[in-house]
Amino acid sequence: MLVSLLSSQYNRIQAIAEAWIAQGAQAFGVYEHGRPLAYWPSGQRMLPPDLTAAIYQYNEIVGELRLSGLRNEAARRRLQADANLIGYILQLEYELQCITADLVTSQDQQLALYRLTQAMRDLVTIRETLTAVVSEAQRMLKARSGFAAYIPTNGGDPLIVQSAENSLNTEAIWRLYWQLQTEDRPLLLSEEDSDLRRPPGVRNLMLIPIRVRGMVVACLGIMDRADRFGTPELKLGRAIADQASAQIERILLYQEMVEQARLRSEMDLARRVQTDLLPRSLPDVRGLDIYAYSRPALQVGGDFFDFINLPNHPFIFTIGDVSGKGVSAALLMSMTRTALHSKAQFMPSPTPALVMRQSNEDLYNDFTRIGVFATVFVGQYDDAERAITYANAGHAPVIYRPRNGRAELLLADNTAIGILPVNHFQNRSLAIEPGDLLIVATDGFSDARNDQDELFGIERLLVAVDELADQPAQAIADGLFRAIDQFSAGHPQDDDQTLIVLKGAAL
Amino acid sequence: MEMKPRQAGNVAILAIEGRFDANTVPPVQHWLEQATATPGARVLVDLSETTFVDSTALATLVSAMKRCQQSKGEFALCGLRRPVLMIFELTRLDKAFNIFVDADHALAVLNA
Repeated sequence: MLVSLLSSQYNRIQAIAEAWIAQGAQAFGVYEHGRPLAYWPSGQRMLPPDLTAAIYQYNEIVGELRLSGLRNEAARRRLQADANLIGYILQLEYELQCITADLVTSQDQQLALYRLTQAMRDLVTIRETLTAVVSEAQRMLKARSGFAAYIPTNGGDPLIVQSAENSLNTEAIWRLYWQLQTEDRPLLLSEEDSDLRRPPGVRNLMLIPIRVRGMVVACLGIMDRADRFGTPELKLGRAIADQASAQIERILLYQEMVEQARLRSEMDLARRVQTDLLPRSLPDVRGLDIYAYSRPALQVGGDFFDFINLPNHPFIFTIGDVSGKGVSAALLMSMTRTALHSKAQFMPSPTPALVMRQSNEDLYNDFTRIGVFATVFVGQYDDAERAITYANAGHAPVIYRPRNGRAELLLADNTAIGILPVNHFQNRSLAIEPGDLLIVATDGFSDARNDQDELFGIERLLVAVDELADQPAQAIADGLFRAIDQFSAGHPQDDDQTLIVLKGAAL
Repeated sequence: MEMKPRQAGNVAILAIEGRFDANTVPPVQHWLEQATATPGARVLVDLSETTFVDSTALATLVSAMKRCQQSKGEFALCGLRRPVLMIFELTRLDKAFNIFVDADHALAVLNA
């Protein structure tokens, strides 16, 4: 150190020497461990010193000033003052060097962190991210090995990555992970303290939590550093863990977005299947005022309605609800609707019970395999008799209101399609003279809920039908939708809501 | 929704408390699949604390019943409250299921 100060400040020290000589000294020299580093006048052999003054740096003698030719008290004091000043400058020089070295290190670390951030942007899996983080942390902290452990909050498989295969057994890693979960702050474990949490064979260890959305989801462990882990390493470790948190959060967000988009498109498909298969126009049937409408829920159910209205063929209508939600319900709904439609259309002399019975036989095996069923109502209009013949496979609510009576619930005679392998359906008959009213809805009506978790229920539905009975079919349907909307008061629609309204009209 | 499984003799019993609907079906379905997996299984679902069932829940019970029948087992329901029983009556599922007033009556028959 004294040598480097001499070379950088040679002129200034020479000025001190020359001042001494001008004052009457014969020689002035700077010594280190008894060996001369510089002396003046130059080119001469040094005389034995008359005065010496030790140079101290942090209370340690690092050199000496020697003076010949003067020996008075004033010269002794001045020489010691010179030595003290040089010692102080040495001290400052040393501190400056330390600060510079720290600065360079921290700049290197910043650069490395920046590179890590950049590199991580391209990583799309959590495993890749943790692998990059472990290897970078190990390199930047000059440690022998590292690991990371991660437990997804969404119930996925836990994950461990290690810089070197099996540098620590997985059991030890999970123990550390849970330790960190309980402590909820970084842990520094070293050889000096006989901490039992330090796994055998590990000299020192730094364990840092990686938080995502405020929860510790992973930990970063860095092991076996030549020097012990101190505050600067902890700071750096935390900075690296923060990078990892940010990247894991980005990845999770991305995965959630993809999943949501998938579900949305699946729901869109289900809704399209459902709405596109519904009849586009209402049938024009002599003696009947008909209206039908289906409103799918956000999570589409399996509601449908259908009309078979052909020349020289009885008018037949069907309405049904397949259990389940989403695409599967939409697919099964289209299967059920098609089975009923083809039976109703092509059977030589169809009746609702026959249509139902054959459809049940067609669908029973498939429905059993998938574990679903469908409630179905099939009605057939006879304009000569002014009557509706129907068969009901577990479908509700079905409401009939004679023109001079009150609305009543018609219970099903048979269980739904897909429940019994052979189902003996029964035909029933209803008069449909002008003013008589038949409403077949799906359980989305009776099961509509409000925020207090109350159901709309059959009773309210019957009351609403009585109030609306004088109106034409469409106004009745609109009124019923309005009634359940008012009741649920913004509570999301849980299930599809579908209805057919048939009202006897003048011929 | 809460599930309370227990065993009484040869009969595996599952009590379902609260709303039994599309949102709460998966764990029940899982339990029923395991309970009905062995040939000749005797399974009882106790609905005395069930406040509501929707069609997805009904479908789950129906497929459990069918599995039991296929493997020569017994499947029964018990303790249906009025609103739940009404849903069974409206869909005529009361004809398809073996329904008992309470668990004691069901066990007397199933364990016989």
